[in-house]
Amino acid sequence: MVMIVGLEEENKEIESNMRELARGLLKEKKVDVIIGYKKGTLPMMSQPIIIDKEEDVDKLLWNNTCYVNLAKYLVPRVAKFVDPEKGNLKVGVVAKGCVGRALIHLASENRINLDEITIIGIPCNGVINRQRIEMEIGEKEILEVTASGNNIVVKGKNFEKEFPFDEYMNELCKQCKIRSPPLVSKFPDLHVGACEEYASIVDEFDDIAEFEAKSPEEKWAYIQDALSVCTRCYACREACPMCYCNLCFVDQNKPIWFGKTTDMPDIIVYHLIRAMHMAGRCVACGACSLVCPMGIDLNFINRKLEKIVKQRFDFTSGLDPDTLPPMTDFKMEDAEEFMLEED
Amino acid sequence: MEKVGAVMIVGAGIGGSQAALDLGDSGLKVFLIESSTSIGGVMAQLDKTFPTNDCAMCIVSPKLVETGRHQNIDLNINCEILKVSGQAGNFTVKVKKNSLYINPDKCTGCGVCGRNCPVEAIDLFNEGLAKYAATSVKYPQAVPLVYAINKDYCIGCGVCAGVCKAKAVEYDRKDEIIDINVGAIILAPGFDEYLPPEVNKYGFGKFKNVVTSIEFERILSASGPYAGRVLRPSDGDIPQKVAFLQCVGSRDYTGEGQPYCSSVCCMYTAKEAVIAHEHQHEVKPTIFSMDIRAYGKDFDKYIIRAQEEYGVRYIRSRISSIDEDHKTKDLILRYENEDEEVIEEVYNMVVLGVGLNPPRDAQHLADKFGIKLNPYGFAETDIFNPVQTTKPGIFACGAFSQPKDIPETVTQASAAAGCVDQILFSERGKLITEKTLPPEIFVAGQPPRIGVFICHCGINIGGYVDVPEVTRYAATLPNVVMSDRNLYTCSADTQGIIKEKIEEYHLNRVIVASCTPRTHEPLFQETIREAGLNRYLFQMANIRDQCSWVHMNQPEKATEKAKDLVRMAVNKARRIAPIDRIKLGVTKKAMVIGGGITGMVAALNFASQEIETHLVQNESKLGGFANHIYHTLEGGDVQAYLSNLIEKINSNKFIHVYLDAEIETINGYIGNFKTTVLHGPNKDRVEFEHGVVVVATGAKEYKPKEYLYGQNKNVILQSEFEKILNTNGAIKDKNTIVMIQCVGSRNDDHPYCSKMCCAEAIKNALLVKKLHPEKEIIILFRDIRTYGFKETYYRKAREAGVIFLRFDENYPPEVTVNGSSLKVDVKAKKVGNLLIPTDLLVLSAGIVAPHEENEELGKMLKVPLNDDNFFLEAHVKLRPVDFATEGVFVAGLAHCPKTIEDSISQANAAVSRACTILSKDEIEAEGKIASVDPSRCSGCGMCIDNCAYNAIELIEDRRFGTVAVINQALCKGCGACSGNCRCAAIDVAGFTSEQIYAMITGRL
Amino acid sequence: MTEQAIEKQTESEKWEPKIIAFLCNWCSYAGADLAGVSRIQYPPNIRIVRVPCSGRINAYFIIKSLTDGWDGVVVSGCHPGDCHYISGNLVARRRFAILKELLEFFGIEPGRVNFMWASAAEGERFAVLIRKATEIVKKLGPNKKFEKKW
Repeated sequence: MVMIVGLEEENKEIESNMRELARGLLKEKKVDVIIGYKKGTLPMMSQPIIIDKEEDVDKLLWNNTCYVNLAKYLVPRVAKFVDPEKGNLKVGVVAKGCVGRALIHLASENRINLDEITIIGIPCNGVINRQRIEMEIGEKEILEVTASGNNIVVKGKNFEKEFPFDEYMNELCKQCKIRSPPLVSKFPDLHVGACEEYASIVDEFDDIAEFEAKSPEEKWAYIQDALSVCTRCYACREACPMCYCNLCFVDQNKPIWFGKTTDMPDIIVYHLIRAMHMAGRCVACGACSLVCPMGIDLNFINRKLEKIVKQRFDFTSGLDPDTLPPMTDFKMEDAEEFMLEED
Repeated sequence: MEKVGAVMIVGAGIGGSQAALDLGDSGLKVFLIESSTSIGGVMAQLDKTFPTNDCAMCIVSPKLVETGRHQNIDLNINCEILKVSGQAGNFTVKVKKNSLYINPDKCTGCGVCGRNCPVEAIDLFNEGLAKYAATSVKYPQAVPLVYAINKDYCIGCGVCAGVCKAKAVEYDRKDEIIDINVGAIILAPGFDEYLPPEVNKYGFGKFKNVVTSIEFERILSASGPYAGRVLRPSDGDIPQKVAFLQCVGSRDYTGEGQPYCSSVCCMYTAKEAVIAHEHQHEVKPTIFSMDIRAYGKDFDKYIIRAQEEYGVRYIRSRISSIDEDHKTKDLILRYENEDEEVIEEVYNMVVLGVGLNPPRDAQHLADKFGIKLNPYGFAETDIFNPVQTTKPGIFACGAFSQPKDIPETVTQASAAAGCVDQILFSERGKLITEKTLPPEIFVAGQPPRIGVFICHCGINIGGYVDVPEVTRYAATLPNVVMSDRNLYTCSADTQGIIKEKIEEYHLNRVIVASCTPRTHEPLFQETIREAGLNRYLFQMANIRDQCSWVHMNQPEKATEKAKDLVRMAVNKARRIAPIDRIKLGVTKKAMVIGGGITGMVAALNFASQEIETHLVQNESKLGGFANHIYHTLEGGDVQAYLSNLIEKINSNKFIHVYLDAEIETINGYIGNFKTTVLHGPNKDRVEFEHGVVVVATGAKEYKPKEYLYGQNKNVILQSEFEKILNTNGAIKDKNTIVMIQCVGSRNDDHPYCSKMCCAEAIKNALLVKKLHPEKEIIILFRDIRTYGFKETYYRKAREAGVIFLRFDENYPPEVTVNGSSLKVDVKAKKVGNLLIPTDLLVLSAGIVAPHEENEELGKMLKVPLNDDNFFLEAHVKLRPVDFATEGVFVAGLAHCPKTIEDSISQANAAVSRACTILSKDEIEAEGKIASVDPSRCSGCGMCIDNCAYNAIELIEDRRFGTVAVINQALCKGCGACSGNCRCAAIDVAGFTSEQIYAMITGRL
Repeated sequence: MTEQAIEKQTESEKWEPKIIAFLCNWCSYAGADLAGVSRIQYPPNIRIVRVPCSGRINAYFIIKSLTDGWDGVVVSGCHPGDCHYISGNLVARRRFAILKELLEFFGIEPGRVNFMWASAAEGERFAVLIRKATEIVKKLGPNKKFEKKW
């Protein structure tokens, strides 16, 4: 591996490789459009962009604010990439590890046809924990964010502050074992760029063991506290590539299973059932947390989900479209230690 | 002679019940005759069944309930056969119905009489280990649930007549004699277990802790005398060391027992040992057996698991005698092990693996029905059709013709039904009376008008629950327009009252608060349907089994709970709607895949019922595996049988044969398949429609890589040897012949027994001895698995001088060649290391499933394979020839290794099962099934994999894009799909989200 | 102890949990029937909802029961391998495993929701496990976590 001296250089290297690949794909007409990131209007944000011309390639960017899971743009709630003449367009997707995983998992749920996409793999070096930095900066307006050395530099009127990236990385990125999109050998034409084969992911989940060891009352108090600010704006749902139901359970009636209010019990039930729906499907992109306007850290629930499916069913989402996800599959010898037994 | 569209089935165990259901479902009238007072036979007594450890009661009781209430099945209990006359197509049977001394039409099965009976008497069902009263049902889940008085114990005190509120007790009730006219007869009386004689070497009847396996089965059962705890009879202690003795009364030439092998003991003993250890980890089982005969599907794996996971110890020995320690009541066993040492061991309990005898009244039945018994006292049957007795029109199934296990019994039951179909197919529907029902009242959109009927059940509910209070309370609930209470809501007069009230109050929902819907829902549904309401506008609240009977000491709490349950039922009832069961047309044609014996028998059976049949064979000629077989062990001429079959197939106008055929596509579902086949040298394409599929694709002979096969001309396969013996017989120069068993079977690659190799080896060995008595034949084996009557041929072979040497699976024989001479090096048990020079080495190669072909076909038909690539049936025990996918059946070697006779039985069984579909003009889907709301469905496809019946597929909807859709013909209504659906797009009629929501919230 | 405290204590002792039990039709409901037929006594706290198969039991049913004020939930199906619908209980088992872990992660007491298997022949086991579940829930006290504040 090439030693890269700093974060900035690393990002540049990733970015230029990505642009070259994108240019090549468009030039050789291997794809019709490319979804990627461009500079955002806010300093700590990047935005998605869809390009279809070679000259626009330089608009594509990579830095540590590329939070959005671009796979979201391929699920049918947004208009499909269809051209009235050409039919289905071939789409290139700039994909960090979790975007690649989302695409592969979505294929297993019949959302995406892998024959119609090309994954432009990038070796993601993590995204920043935006909420944490904002919290520490406080009320002051942030005007610019750059990288220098191994630090994130945040500038504003009359202030400049450096944050060590290792520490101020998004929590899920700190634990991430799948930085580049996984290779799927059954689809040799699916990938360009930095993609990797992941045989089996080793993860001890030490980060959530401490929380799990707490008493029910402590956990309940923590959950209440963490979720108490939730306004049920559903930004988490909108950002999530796996949330594509035509009608989300919270919006259903006949029967209205759960209250739609912002009373604590209703909020908790919303997050509990959303978690239930994410089991074996969450690809740990962290988009839900990063878009939360109230700064709720949903990542620790996502980590728990990853842990459940890994430890119970030896499953990691988004590695192989043909491996049945845990809720779709079952085994006679699945663990059932939680069942009530006679003494 | 006029044919009669009715069948008599004698014996209502699992075999009789299965045959009755098959025939009843295909439109014939069935008279099911049972000598005891309830149906279910031995299976209902079992705790678990091998090799899946299924709960016997869980799987058998739905079948029994179905038998008990089937409108085409006339169930007669406590009966005796007096006289039989007539012939195939038209028999008259005189039957005596012995009095129960309780009027079965009035008895509601509430059980008050039994609980008040002062005389303690023996209960047969629990094998004498628990005490019950003289008025009793056989067991709590009995079908029919009718009490009977055992006059042998009754003292005539009159208590029961006094307590019976239904006035059902009739001490002077007379026996009844009736004549029943039927076109065919199936005998399924089962077996009786071998009981050691009074003075026996095992001390049975003398030593308290020596029990038979059937007694032990009841000990293991949760509904047995010790509620499932493993306790020994002498002191109620948990026995730690339990010895299981095999072949008690079987493989016995002393005259005390029977010479044949009872076929099932090795497996049921392994199961009992496993379950005993599972119930009580202290139990350390030891099994003493000569051979381990685990010859069935997945049996060997079960034996391995018993040893490895449950610590079951196997000792190869037959116990010569047992002594009792008079103080501790422990048992001292003496035996000789394989190293010829005599060992003495102490056990806390001994279980005798008793064999299966013919039923005690076998001779009586044979005389009455005019059929012959074989020398062992079982029904004699046709050499190629194991359900055909010596008299046309009379069939036998199950253990009556040879000891056998449950799936084989169920297979034969269907096979017997399949043979009856051939005789009586033209008479279907003639003796069935369809009930005329009034048109359904239109209730959609009308506000619910609920009537609640609350049952006292004599004193069963009324004695503990304040029924008047619950009745008053029910009247206060929303949409309830009337509530009433009855002494017995299930009695005939109350049915009249319910109908009157429906009319009087214009009820459009009915609730009965009484006992369990599992037994009584159909009765009440029928009643409201007769009053013009849709069957599904009905709810039950189970205030007996869930209130009065389980909270007898807390009447207030029981009443409060009853009120809650009624309220929850009302809440649900307010949201129930009529359900129309959809009807689907049926293409009355069949496709049989595979042109071996199995496929041909199936095709001919269909054709004999004038059902057009497409027979698809992948080879260039018919015959399959049987082309290599000349005789069966029992002497059946396979080649003659085969050529006869082929001739019949080719001359039958109802059968289309496609040779060199490959299936291109199979589309559709039960009753409505469409298949395209490419066939012949030019691969002509043909497309046809059919209503059912029988998979009879067979299997292949293993081609050994071991023992120099293919490298040395003197190493041949058993099938090649058979050909030599039956054609030119050129073995003159071969003086010593060694046979090796289990080649390509019971190893890591093929961890199953190929079932027929032992018989094949013995058959060929006997033939050699007959032709050339001077030849030396040595058979090297792991277990000799000559189950059933095949055992006698094993005996004959030994008597003829064939040498049998057992080798350990860990030390298989080694074959070396030096010039032209072959040598076999074997570590034989009891003999030691031997180096045997041999002129000819014959390998008993196993049977293997064609992996790729099966997988491909499995995908097309949406049916699964097991780990060994054989097709996996819907249920190992009770649905041996069905697939979970409706309308598709399996038979023969495609299912697992088996004999020709078994394959023929399966073929006929598959036809019988298929005829339950093909005999109908249309099939009715289940009512309570799932449906998808396409506007909610996002088409993720999870439900497809969750569905065990392949009832769901994704389609392109014009409005909603890719969505799941449920095939109503295939859905069984389990709801596994809806349970996982994130979008809540799937709902299950009868258990809708709204209804369950109403019950959850209905508490408040 | 003051009189008030004694009253309070007896009050809490008198408190009886209400438990909703979702039972599959073929095994567990039949097991409950057998408990009845065999007159095996167990605490009167459960209210049974019959469903075709444990596979039908959506997480919504369980969570709704908790939010609706039931003090405990029991879910019972056929033992693995016994399912009347071949594999409905195996599909359900994964769902239950995940739900159980998530509920606990969110701070719901482990004993609030109890999953069990009971066969049609296990009337005794059914009663024993219901007794056990009732005791567990009783020990936990009333389910107030999802109570709305007014």
